[in-house]
Amino acid sequence: MKNSFDEKILDEAQDWINANQKVVLATVIQTWGSSPRQVGSRMIVNEKGDFSGSVSGGCVESAVVSECLSLIKDNKPCKKIEFKVSNESAWEVGLACGGEIAVYIEQIH
Amino acid sequence: MKIKTLEEILKKKSSKTEFAILTNLENGDSEIYLPGTSPKGEFSKYADEIENFFKSKKNGVIENSEIFVETYIKPIKVIIVGAVHIAQYLVDFAKNLNFEISIIDPRGYFASEQRFPEIKVINKWPKEAFEEIETNSSTALIALTHDPKIDDPALQYALKNKFYYIGALGSKKTHENRCQRLAEAGFNNDEINSIHGPIGIKLGGKSAPEIALSIIAQLVSQTYKK
Repeated sequence: MKNSFDEKILDEAQDWINANQKVVLATVIQTWGSSPRQVGSRMIVNEKGDFSGSVSGGCVESAVVSECLSLIKDNKPCKKIEFKVSNESAWEVGLACGGEIAVYIEQIH
Repeated sequence: MKIKTLEEILKKKSSKTEFAILTNLENGDSEIYLPGTSPKGEFSKYADEIENFFKSKKNGVIENSEIFVETYIKPIKVIIVGAVHIAQYLVDFAKNLNFEISIIDPRGYFASEQRFPEIKVINKWPKEAFEEIETNSSTALIALTHDPKIDDPALQYALKNKFYYIGALGSKKTHENRCQRLAEAGFNNDEINSIHGPIGIKLGGKSAPEIALSIIAQLVSQTYKK
């Protein structure tokens, strides 16, 4: 049986929006190899760079936060980002576990 | 995602409805999908694929497309018999794990709303209480009163209705006596042995939150064995 674990990130997104914050939702949409979080894992980021939830085990969160901030600044609706260990930014943000993930970020507007 | 869609998702979640969120990764459009209905607009040509994701209870991107499907299934129902101290901690753990809890206790002074805010507490004997709860083989029972008058009828109901997890609090001796009573009531060994008693995994703790943790750990592990 699959459990219905739910980390209540969307509930928190609603609270942030009610507090007049700009919110970007980040979702793991694909994984390859060994990745710390499963597809559907979520994180939210506001315009100040505060974040809640996770899309990895701490490996790429900082990069996701800056991507989310750019999305707000450039006022774009959404973007797909892939993180690979072979990525040239691997030393900075790559997945230490050797997996790959695709994260989709979107503004809630 | 539109704020309106987010509000709709939260409403569906709190009403324990099964649904999926469909997202077009190219343009950011998203839509709520209810199983058995036809997906709207740009998602309509993926009806079969979406339904398959739903059936396998999986999340993912539909092959050769830019459509992401995230499914939400109903929370697992857990019935606790005995509105005791351990139950208060179980409720706390269950909240984070998204189990849906109902508590049965015929003793009014235990089953008060003040002790269990936001939880369905049924202040009746198990036999009458089960008439108010829809149960199936995806339901779990945690019996905590160690009083045969209250626990036994609930355990018998859970065994007859093939709950996937049945646990009962009490010492080894209490559990032996319980097993004997169930045998006398006509239950076979397999049925009786399916009860987790003494309840919980061995953690070593004796306090109410520690016992609650050992019970919830066993419940989660049994959920994935099913």
